[in-house]
Formats: sequence, structure tokens, C-alpha cells
Amino acid sequence: MRAPIKPIPPKPSQYGIDPSLVKTRIADLPGMTSVSLKELFPDLPEVIFPGENGLAKVRQAAEEALMKVDMSMIKPEHSVNVLASHHGFTLLGGEPYAELLKAIKDVIEKRTGCRDIRLRAGVGMRFRETEEYIKRYGLDTYYDGKAIGIAPVDQGIPIETEIGTLYGIKKVYDADWIVHAHHSDVREVHFHRQVDKAVKPFGMSYARIETRSTYHQNLGPRGANFVARAIFDSEFVQKKFAFAAFLNIAPNGVVGVDVDNDLYALNDRVTFTGCQYYGKIMTLFGEIDECIAALDFPCPVPYVFSAGVIYANFTGANTDLYDLDAPLPPYTWYTEAFYGKRGKPLLKDIPPVNPAIKMCVHNYAWTGYPSAFFAEQIPTVVVGQEQAELFNRDPLNLNYMDYATVIKSTEAAMNFAYRATGTRKVIIFDGAMGGINVSEPLAELLTRKAPAVSERVDNELLPKWLRQRGVDMSVLKRGA
Amino acid sequence: MKLVTLLAQVDTDKCKGCRTCERVCPVLAIKVVDRKAVVDPERCRGCANCEQRCPDYAVTMIKRDEPLQVGVDVHEVNYDEVVALCAKAKLHPEQRICYCVGTRADEVAAAIIKGARTPEEVSLVTGARTGCTIECIQPILRLLEAAGCELKPPEGGWQWYGRTATAWDLPEAVKQKYSSRGFYFEEDRAVLDKLVEEGIKGGDA
Ligand code: SF4
Ligand code: SF4
Repeated sequence: MRAPIKPIPPKPSQYGIDPSLVKTRIADLPGMTSVSLKELFPDLPEVIFPGENGLAKVRQAAEEALMKVDMSMIKPEHSVNVLASHHGFTLLGGEPYAELLKAIKDVIEKRTGCRDIRLRAGVGMRFRETEEYIKRYGLDTYYDGKAIGIAPVDQGIPIETEIGTLYGIKKVYDADWIVHAHHSDVREVHFHRQVDKAVKPFGMSYARIETRSTYHQNLGPRGANFVARAIFDSEFVQKKFAFAAFLNIAPNGVVGVDVDNDLYALNDRVTFTGCQYYGKIMTLFGEIDECIAALDFPCPVPYVFSAGVIYANFTGANTDLYDLDAPLPPYTWYTEAFYGKRGKPLLKDIPPVNPAIKMCVHNYAWTGYPSAFFAEQIPTVVVGQEQAELFNRDPLNLNYMDYATVIKSTEAAMNFAYRATGTRKVIIFDGAMGGINVSEPLAELLTRKAPAVSERVDNELLPKWLRQRGVDMSVLKRGA
Repeated sequence: MKLVTLLAQVDTDKCKGCRTCERVCPVLAIKVVDRKAVVDPERCRGCANCEQRCPDYAVTMIKRDEPLQVGVDVHEVNYDEVVALCAKAKLHPEQRICYCVGTRADEVAAAIIKGARTPEEVSLVTGARTGCTIECIQPILRLLEAAGCELKPPEGGWQWYGRTATAWDLPEAVKQKYSSRGFYFEEDRAVLDKLVEEGIKGGDA
């Protein structure tokens, strides 16, 4: 059995407990091992990060890709807003995304002579999160003091779209040009369903509350992400859009950098890899019959990672999240909304939260996302009173601890989980790079099931997923 | 229903009177008076927007000595009226519209029936939209509009700007143009219609 992979270390943040309070990592406990993703799925791509000189290779890939894109619209006297989102900083330790943001500034400067380049970094629900990242990765100095975090309650700007007026954050658009700096990691498949994923920030981290509420309350679970397309396609945004620069990510690391003036061409490539690479891992996770899910990553509860899959998606792994014929995943906000007062779904065909998760051990995860639903649906133990207190003080999680119990130490929490559930299968959401940290019995199950899953995705599921999304294969070939 | 345990507190030495807090407070509980922000403790619902957006880090959230219970009892109004208002806004009375506080549509409808006329008043009496303050603005606006309230954002504020499209008012041309790209507009609308129908019938599925 392989040794566990070093988990992503705890990070100081106003949204998490002090790193010194994280005394034990789940991966360090007896009986834990790791599985290499490349061994599970040999057709996963070769990655440049993690690896030797990984960051330098990301830099090189970024520069090469940025040299090829058309920047002729940017004149020396113009201003450019490089638009970033919080989530990029949670990928693989955050440095690769920060490196891309630095390369974008340098290459624009070099190729266009433009000096007024600003970084505008959007957030999810933790309004100061990107402020913290900007400092941590030195982006404020790199961008000559012109790097700011932006939030959905900041001053807005109306944008006329095909579906009427929607609202963006004013500071996103206060330059002559915008550059969309993102990544192809799938993250919230339960929300966007891998439909227009590459466009999503225009309806989310670059958008005002009205737009985000439209997404999560007005359009329905499969039409939701249209707000992003509506805003991006608006005359207002099209006039400012210069190009998109994406970290090309697979579950096992950074594959390269993809830069394009045509966001929809890039989007098709993102849809393809999002379905193919991540679809295999998610389908494999659906094969897990019983387990303890251990959260151990510097991110809010639903966003902790294992093999590039977030916990929120694991809570829906009992269904096919990519299959658009199924309207409601076991977890998404529409689903959560549709649970009535007696705790039962208000519609008959709402699938239950992944019944394979027998217990959740919350060793280390942040506040800043309404997470009570997870604790309500899955027996949850939280390690340490300090962490419980932090949740009790979070306006988004005042009810989380109503459903979870506190246990003093990581060891005691895991022993309790073993005894209460009777399973020894443990999956750890700790951001391990290149593999998955799991217990030995789960490693055995994943290794045994992977080949058949791979075949099923290639032959049966992937063609269906792409058909449902109308992905234009010729665009894929051009970008390859 | 919300148990408000937190309260915003301003450090007047740090406050520069920029009014950012005033513009983002969902219940209009913080105001700049004589160039310094002042919190009304009776109104503050502890959302932390002011603390999170103050450019000078002048606000901290403190624990209240006495938590404040806010909420509207749906039984104090005619529940048939609640159901009808929710149906008009295309919502199930029991559906959760505020994911942070857990407020359901019927409580917001009851608040409106009892006299709330703006999103700020709804938030003040129910506590809805005092968690993330992002996701629940549209259903609140839909319910207010269904009750015939004029939707007028707070002057000079950034609290909210306007109601937006729903599954029921998407242009036909848009639906046709994009349905082959994975947007299941019609199918989603059918799911939402079914929910509204269940709400009118009453009870769990
Ligand atoms: S945002 Fe901060 S500095 Fe500005 S008025 Fe409010 S408390 Fe004062
Ligand atoms: S309700 Fe929120 S924004 Fe308003 S004063 Fe209280 S904490 Fe600040």
C-alpha cells in the first residue's frame, strides 16, 4: 500500500479556525493510504503541476499561450481589468492560479505597452476571501497596488440582456477591456451541470446579488446558468471582452494553459474535459457502497476536495450529476429549497443525499457557505469546540451545529465514526494532489472498480453527456 | 425565524464616514451620522455585511448579551391567503427561500400580509436575507410584487436594484435558440410548476 499524500496545509483565514488548532490530519491516522489517479485511470492526461519545476512550467505554458492570442485591441493608453475568482486559489494550493494571473499582467504589458492593468477578484459568499488571497500570493504588489477583492453587494451596474436587465458588479467593468482569468476545474457540477461552465463567473463571481439569486431561485436547476450566457452575450460585455485565459485542470493536476478570444470555443473544450476526466472520478465515487467522509481542507464544507471532486458533489454521487434528464441532484439549492417543514421533499422524485455516506467527520473546514443542509442530512461530527463556536458565529451557519455534534479530537471522532457506522472505508477530502487519500479497504474497492467505470464512461455516458450539451466536436479538434 | 446572536459594533476611531456600510445593510440598521457610522442595535440582524465591506475595517461583530428572536408566526394570518400569495409568486409556501436563515416562503408571505412593504421590512421582521444576503432577494421581490407592492430600491443604496427574469417569462426565441446547448428551460419550468401545484394542494409529496 502507498503512503498517504501530504494534504494541503491549513491556512490562516477569518473563515477558518487558527491553523495551530488543527492538531491531527486524517491522512496521518493509522490505516490510511493513497491511490494514484493515473493508476486508476491511465488515460488521464500528463500534468505539468504537481511535478518538478511545476510552477515554472505553469508560467512557461501561460506565456506561450498568451503570446498566441490576439491582443491588438488593447492600446497603450487603455485600461484592462483582469477578472479572477476565489476558487482558482483553492486549486492545488493556489500557486498555479496566482502564477497565471501574474503571467497575464506581464504578457499584456509586454505585448501591448498598456500599463493600467488591474486585478479584480470576485468571491463566493465570503466577501473578504480574495482579499486574503491577494495578500497571500503577493498580487497586490505584483499589480502595483491595483488588486482588489470584489463582492456581490458592491455597487452594481445594470446590463441589458436577452432575458431583460441583469446586474453586474460595477468595478468588474470599469476598464476599457476585461480579461476572463479562470480554470477548467468542474467544482459545482450540482449547480452548473457542466453547461457553459467556462462562462459561469459572469453570472456569479462577477455578478450582483440580483443575478445570483436569479440563477439559484428563478430559472430552475438546468436553466440556471443561462444568466451567465445572457450577461456575457450582452452588447455591454462583448464590447469590453478581450480574451479568456484558463488553467487547464484535470483531477490529477494542471495540464496546461488555454487562452482564446472565443470563449465559447474554449467552453466546448472545458465541457469535454469536464465530462471526461471528472466524469470518470465522479462515476467511480458513485460505486462506493459505504464510507465515512472526512473533511480536512481550508475551504467551506461543500468545497473541500478529493481527486478534484468537491464534497457537495460527493453527496450527490449516488446519481449521475451530468445527466441532464434528471432535474434535481440530491444536493443543489433548488433541492434544498424543496425540503418541507417536516424534513421531507416537497416533490416525489427528489433523490436522497448519497446514502453511502454513513457519517461525516468534519476535522477541518471553513464557514462562509450555508452548510446546515449537509449536517441535517448526514450524521456529522465536528472536531473541537473552537470550530463549533466559529460556526455558531457565522451568519450563514447559525443552524449548522443544531445538527452536528462536537468531539474533542480527530482520533476520538474517527473512532466514534468507526464504531457507530461499522464501516472501515474512509474517503478524505484534503486536497491531496495527484491521488486520493483513503483507508485501505476503500483503496481496494476503488482500484477494483475503476476499469469498468472507465469503459462505461467512454462508451456509454460520455457520448450521452456531450449530446445533451450540443458540444461541437469540430471545435474540440481545432483546440486540441 | 432567526435568533439574532450578533451585533455590529463600530470603532469610531477607524470609521471614515464613507457610507459603504449604510449602502449594504439589508435592514437599514447602520447610518452615518456626523461622519461616523452608528448602529441601531434594535434593527441590526447580525448579517456582517458592514463588517465584511468596510474598507477601513472599522466594524466588528460582537456577541449580543441578550439574543434577539425575530420571526413572523404564519398562524397569525389567514393561511389560505399565504398559499394564494405564494402561488401568485410561483412559490410553494413551504419552500426554503433563505438558505442561511432557513426562512420559508410562507413566513415571508405572512410578513407581507401583516404589512411589510419592502425587502428591508421583510428582512427586519423575518430575518431572511441576513445571512449571505445574496441568494434570496428574487423570491422576496416576487412575493412583494405579487402582493402589489411597488418595488423601489433604497435611495443611494446598493441593497438591491430590481426584479429579474423567471422561468415563466423567458422569451420564446431564447428558449428555442439555446435548448440544444443543455439549457432545459421548458423541463425546468415544468418542475417548478409542479412544485407550485403541490403548494396549492398542501402537504408533503
Ligand atoms: S464602511 Fe466603515 S468607514 Fe465607511 S462609514 Fe461604515 S464603518 Fe465607517
Ligand atoms: S444588519 Fe448586517 S449590515 Fe446591518 S448593521 Fe447589522 S451586521 Fe451590519
